[in-house]
Amino acid sequence: MTNNAVDTILTAEPTKKRRKIASLDRRKARAGWFFVLPFILGFALIYVPMFFDSVVMSFQSMESATDGSTGYKMIFIGMENYRNALLVDPNFVPTLISGLKQLAFDIPAILIFSLFMAVMLNQKMAGRGFFRAIFFLPVILSTGIMESIAAADTLNTAMSSGIDDGSGTNTTNQIVSSMDLERLFSSMKVGTEIVEYVTSAINNIYDIVNRSGVQMLIFLAALQSISPAIYESCKIDGATAWETFWKITFPMISPMILVNGIYTIIDSFTTESNQVMTYISGVYSRTGGMVVSSAMSWIYFLLVILIVAVIGAVFSAFVFYGRKND
Amino acid sequence: MNAQADKQPVVKRESKNRIRVEFDRTPLKDRLKAKFLNSYFVTRLIIWIFRLVLMVGISYIVLYPFFTKIAGSFMSPEDLVDVTVRLIPKNFTLDIYKAIVSELGYWKAFGNTFALSFTCAILQTFVCCLIGYGFAKFKFKGRNLLFMLVMLTMIIPHQTLQLSMYMEFRYFDILGIVRLLKGGGIQIFGLNIKDLGPGVAAFFEKINILPDVIPITKKGIEVTSSGINLLNTYLPLILLSLGGLAFKNGLYVFLLRQFFRGMPDELEESAYMDGCGPFHTFLRIILPNSIPMLITVFLFAFCWQWTDDYYTGLFFSSMNTSLLVKIVAVPPSLSTSYAGTELYNTAIRNTCGIMIIFPLVILYAFCQNFLVQGIEHSGIAN
Repeated sequence: MTNNAVDTILTAEPTKKRRKIASLDRRKARAGWFFVLPFILGFALIYVPMFFDSVVMSFQSMESATDGSTGYKMIFIGMENYRNALLVDPNFVPTLISGLKQLAFDIPAILIFSLFMAVMLNQKMAGRGFFRAIFFLPVILSTGIMESIAAADTLNTAMSSGIDDGSGTNTTNQIVSSMDLERLFSSMKVGTEIVEYVTSAINNIYDIVNRSGVQMLIFLAALQSISPAIYESCKIDGATAWETFWKITFPMISPMILVNGIYTIIDSFTTESNQVMTYISGVYSRTGGMVVSSAMSWIYFLLVILIVAVIGAVFSAFVFYGRKND
Repeated sequence: MNAQADKQPVVKRESKNRIRVEFDRTPLKDRLKAKFLNSYFVTRLIIWIFRLVLMVGISYIVLYPFFTKIAGSFMSPEDLVDVTVRLIPKNFTLDIYKAIVSELGYWKAFGNTFALSFTCAILQTFVCCLIGYGFAKFKFKGRNLLFMLVMLTMIIPHQTLQLSMYMEFRYFDILGIVRLLKGGGIQIFGLNIKDLGPGVAAFFEKINILPDVIPITKKGIEVTSSGINLLNTYLPLILLSLGGLAFKNGLYVFLLRQFFRGMPDELEESAYMDGCGPFHTFLRIILPNSIPMLITVFLFAFCWQWTDDYYTGLFFSSMNTSLLVKIVAVPPSLSTSYAGTELYNTAIRNTCGIMIIFPLVILYAFCQNFLVQGIEHSGIAN
């Protein structure tokens, strides 16, 4: 009898203790839910209906209502919009293909450039703050309306190419013209594809600089968080700067290369230079808000997400994660 | 070598507790040679020059469009067709600025844009902080799934949702509440309960308790049984900001989450010990300790909202609300027709652009230190 009582007490005590800990955990969990509550509410009440509507709309056709009460009427037409986008519209598929090509071109260019600039800006040198301030200027200023103003900026090209001054010699304002580079590369006997890639990257340098601001910031932050002790020990062991970069810096920031790659893809959706999006919004405004554009943007989005998933899967195999908790 | 080694420094005693050491210094020429004529120094110098040229070159690329815009804004129509004028105007004039301020209603648009951007940026910063902090410091079921959803909202471009986003706020109605209160009955999967019978319909007609117009703006917001028309008000953007769904909020949540993760847990634990609740701790301990990061996010949110033309174009379709991004036009008094009209109109548009971003440049000049600092301390690679 007494033994039994002791037993129950012994078994009861740990459970009581465990429950206490669990309740603290639960309290923290509840606090966590409280903190993310704005997102949950916004997501459930605004985003999900919007998302759902957009998907449903891509299967529907819209007609202005005759009774005038609701303003518009949706008719379910199945895959008609998708068929229209892919098979009927003669320009969509070529635009899509060239847009994806452009994306494939942009991502490496932006990633390499922003990584290079981040490494540069991370070194100690005179005027670093000044250069940083200039390089991050486009992040803040060259968005939205400024981008569309810049796209229509004929003055810029007029000023830089020099209005025909009649003397025949075109006074170019470019520092490096891509012709020089082509000459340089042709003497180096490398593949023509690389030459083409580099020269077109040089020609697009303004666009690339403009679009790599956030990526530069993220890389810079990643570089800053590498412990200087690692570099010091490398130096003591006699590693050159080149070796240090490839053996230390590159692996340490490889997760951020993945993040930046994905960010670049997402960001490219919203830039003015994205032909596919321009085409889709052109269709949207031309047809007075027709839902074909909805279907088109879903096709484009799904394709890009597929690419992101493939890149992410391939890349994450090579990514080095220093800390593997949570 | 020997000769130098032989020359011992001479030590003289000058006074009681002072000595003077005299030794032959290596000649200046030799010292300079040793310092500057080695491969280490030459490499350093070459790298330094290379870096400087590169930096200056890229700065030039970044700044050049701004230079041309500023130069063009001071030019008179004649200067633009004059081939001898490049960057420095011959007939310096402020006509374009004056016309924009007086004819396009710059200050009114400025005030509206400031109110909109400031409200949205403050809300977004605060809400994203809450969300990022929740993800960073609390473990709860479904946390990773929720974070994936946050990323999803960032990954799906809002352009894809354009049409449905417009509809959502044109006929704004959460869970059909407005419809119910306006006597529209309840609709379940397309089936309207009102259609069940005349009695039911009459019952719902009586519910009609919402006014037709809610006086939030000067003109009021129109309320019908199919929803509230929120277009041409600040409310769509404010609602999106409140839900952490506005432009690039996923990025802010990501940055803030990384930042808060890098903060030591002891900070909160000590606050909990002293009897502070989680929310109180957040307000009193966490926020004051993350000012640079907050300013960074605020700067992003403010500037991106300021120059945004996608959402404002979508939600502010009528011309009643004047915003800065909508003043980009040619003022009536400046519309001319001559050989350089195209160029002149471009110059005017560019001037509008300058006047739009000028406040941002000032803001940036004050905040750019925080921009790098905030991101630097986010410990983003962990």
